[in-house]
Order: sequence, then structure tokens, then C-alpha cells
Amino acid sequence: MIDLNAYLGHFAFRPLRHNTAEGLLRWMDQKGIERAAVSSAAAITYRNAAAGNEEVARQIQPHRDRFILFGVLNPAYAGWREDLRRLFERHSARGLRLYPRWHNYRLTDPVCLELVREAAAASLVVSIPVRVEDRRQQSWLVDIPDVDHAEIAALVRAVPEARFVLLNGSGYTGSILGRTENGLPANYSVDISLLTVELANELGRLLEVLGEDRVVFGTGMPFHYPDPALVKLELLEAPEFVKEKIRRGNASRLLGL
Amino acid sequence: MSQAVLRRRDLFLAAGGLAAGEGAPLPGASLRSYGVKVTDAHDHLHHRSRPTWREDDKKLIDAADRLGIDQLCCSILPPERPTTLEGFRECNRWMAEALGRFPGRVLGYVFVNPGYTREALEEVRRYVGDHGFIGIKLYNDYRADEPVLWPLVELAIQLGVPILHHAGHTRWLPQPQPRISDAGHLSVLARRYPEAMIICAHIAGGGDWEWTIKALRGAPSLYLDLSGSVIDEGVVEMAVEELGAERLLFACDMSLTASVGRILGAQITGDARRKILGENMQRILARRRAA
Repeated sequence: MIDLNAYLGHFAFRPLRHNTAEGLLRWMDQKGIERAAVSSAAAITYRNAAAGNEEVARQIQPHRDRFILFGVLNPAYAGWREDLRRLFERHSARGLRLYPRWHNYRLTDPVCLELVREAAAASLVVSIPVRVEDRRQQSWLVDIPDVDHAEIAALVRAVPEARFVLLNGSGYTGSILGRTENGLPANYSVDISLLTVELANELGRLLEVLGEDRVVFGTGMPFHYPDPALVKLELLEAPEFVKEKIRRGNASRLLGL
Repeated sequence: MSQAVLRRRDLFLAAGGLAAGEGAPLPGASLRSYGVKVTDAHDHLHHRSRPTWREDDKKLIDAADRLGIDQLCCSILPPERPTTLEGFRECNRWMAEALGRFPGRVLGYVFVNPGYTREALEEVRRYVGDHGFIGIKLYNDYRADEPVLWPLVELAIQLGVPILHHAGHTRWLPQPQPRISDAGHLSVLARRYPEAMIICAHIAGGGDWEWTIKALRGAPSLYLDLSGSVIDEGVVEMAVEELGAERLLFACDMSLTASVGRILGAQITGDARRKILGENMQRILARRRAA
């Protein structure tokens, strides 16, 4: 399995466990996860997000066969162009993670569009965690809503050549992102970490609407237990070849592995 | 981890060794491997204003079957607030019918608005006494530290049944729920009635779970249900460490894969997991007395 939704390092508002390279590897081994796309949890609240990328790049250096670096960039902060260059030239990053609400910009700001176009030109996947924490439990210091689906839709429409993966999202089937004939390019995929399989079965419905090539395995660990994602795959009523695409095939294609 | 010191085998189980990876058995097999009657202490059947309620009820039970959940303790809640007298009476009638549709699988909580004191007490006596309901469900019509709840708690003690109380702690009061209770309000009630079996609902669906667990430390008679859609790592481990596995109840509140995954993934001992999955709730159910 390839987990497209994993993290290393500390988070500002609660302790994370299994958040070192070695700790996460042990956990991945226990769960049967071969590779994980990781980014810095600390970079979510660092002013200079690129410092978090450097920390993670150092941690995963001995384990490049298991970890795939995704860099956190803030296009509203100084020096992002050089940080982007370093990510793919120096650290062989395969993707980005964008936090527009935490970093105080909009996905449709010209500078963000420029970043995403640059990322696409460098063949980097652009992932967008729709949420970091459930808003009901956020610290009194912050008030960070989920990334608005309409804003994401505007971005994927504006940069059709880019490839996006939406993480920690749900409710797609009630928004433009999960509708058939939505007029959007088929350049975005969604991870399963917060999708339901029971009752509303959003995962099953998205397989129908987006197609089996646009749903990827993601856990959110170490923020999350990985087991709910594993249980969902077991419970999902889909042919084995579709589950295999979710487990690894779609991520392999996206990342060029 | 005090009593939850992990043995090697438990580490494997805790790590999802039975649940994860290609070729692994179905999750239901994993829950069943603990050898207890897996009991979901907090769930719901659907209100009949929903056109697909019958089909959706069946989906819930089918998913529970596949996941290895043996019994679901359910209530039906009306959509409107505050809850009207006819609103809760209607729900309890439907719940009684549901016990016939899913015999032995679904157990019923009687849902009431404590503000209708006389009628609520009658409703509880009728459904616990005549229809075999297993407890009382309270939502957010009143806060748990308000005296209007006292007659219901006293009746629950008399009948030997639990009260499952909606709860949540956020840094703001959700606008639709101005009277939502948190673990602090429930602790006030529990300290007044330490012999009552009061369950604080959905640790993983009610805001700041670290706050809630810490607030529950001071009220040792309160139980905590582990349901909810939030899948943050560490919540079960912290609850076991701070409160003890004896006070924790497996529950889903309609988030089945999240709640099953949370228990399978938690790094706790097999003994703690068995208590949480069913032994604790079955012990609560065994205390029910004839009305």
C-alpha cells in the first residue's frame, strides 16, 4: 500500500506519537504500508514553512525507499520560488502540500496560481489537506475552517495541467467536486481517510462519479489512526482490482513510481 | 501505561496485525477474535421523516454484521429542537417496533425531553418496564447540571438502567446547541448521584477530547463512550491511561468504520480491549431491574 497522506514532526496543538521517521516506519510495517508521502506537521504553523521541509528531508534521508517527500510551501511568504526549486532539485520532492487557511491566502490568489503552475511544470503533485483538525476541537488561539470546496474547484479549473490530491476531505458528493458533469478537469483525486463506506457510502459514490482511477489510499497518520482507512477498504464493496488501484496503483501512477 | 502495559501479542493485535494488509481477515473477524459480545453502546436508527429510513436502518445493521458488532444500543431522535412531547413519544414507538425488526441485535434507549417531567417519567417506566428498553437517552434539551434532570436520574437508579447523555466541549457553544453538556456538567450530576450509570457520549465527536478526558477524571462513576467520526490517534490510549478501561465503552454513533478502526488501532492490552468492546456494557446491561 502507498499512503498519500502522512506526516512527520510535531504539531503545535497536541502531541503526536509515531512522528519520527523510525517510529512511522515501524507503524507502517505493522499495518502493511510500504511507502508514504510525508510532509512536515510543524510547517503547518511555522512562519517559514520551508524550515519544516528541511527537517523532514533530513529525517527521511536514510529511508528514501519508503518515504516520498512532499514539501509545504506558502506562496504568500518570501522566497517560495527558491524553496520550490530546492524541493525538487535538492530534495527530490514529488509533491507539495498547501494550507491556504493556515497560511492565510486563497487558492485562487495569483501568487498561488503561479506556484501551482510552477509545480505542474516540475511534475510535482499538489496535495491540499482540506482540514488538519476537526474544527470543534481547535485551540482557542486559532479558528481555521476547512478549505472551501468551491475554492478548490476554482483552482483545479484554473490550472488544468496540474495534478491534485485532496486529503482529509469529506462531503464531496454534496459539492461541485463530487458531482458528475461538473465541468471540471479530471485532474484531482481524493483520499479515503475521512470518507464513509457505511450508510451514505461516500467512497462508493465517488468511485462511481470520479472513477476508480481518482481515489487513493490515505490515512492521515500520525494525526490519525491508520486503521479506519484499512477497515474501509475491507468493508468497501468493490472488485479486488479496484481496491488494488486504491491501495497502490493510482498513487504509483500519480507519483511516477 | 498502568494496567495497559502491552505484551508482545497485544502489540501485534493493537497494531492491526489482524486487520491490516493484503490477505488479512475481515475486520469483523478481528472484533470477534476477542471472544466477547461486541456491544455498540451508542447508536441510532433513523427518524421516519427520512424517506429511506427502513433501508438505511438495514444498511446500519448489515455494516455492523460485517464488522463483527453483535448488539447495537440505539435510540431514535427527532430532528426538531427543543424536543416536543409528541416528538419523543413517536420516536419511542418506532424504536419499540424496531426491536421486533432486529430481535436480539438492536437494544433500545428510551429518548425523552426532561422538561416534560411527568410524561418523561411515564415514558421511561413504560418502555423500560413493558418493552425491555435498556436505558435512557438524553440530548441537549437541558444541560446535565440542571435540576430538571434529577427525577429521571433517580428513576434510572431505581430501574438499574444507564443514561446515555449527549456531550461535547468546544471553545465555542455550537449555535444550534445552546444547552449542550460537557464532561464538567456531567461530572456535577455524577457527583450528586454516584450510584447512577451515566455515560458521556462520543469522545471522538464532541470537540476537545483531551479536555473531556481530563474533566472526567474527577467523577469516577461516569462512563465514556468512544464513538465518533474523529479518528485522532491517541484518544483511546489517553482514555485508558487516565480513566481506566473499566469506564470505557465501545460505540459508533453511526461512524462505524472510524469507531471500529479506532479500537483496532489503539495500543492497549487485549484485556482492556475486551472490556471496552463488550464486557463493560454487558455488565451495565446486567444491572437492569424489573420496573
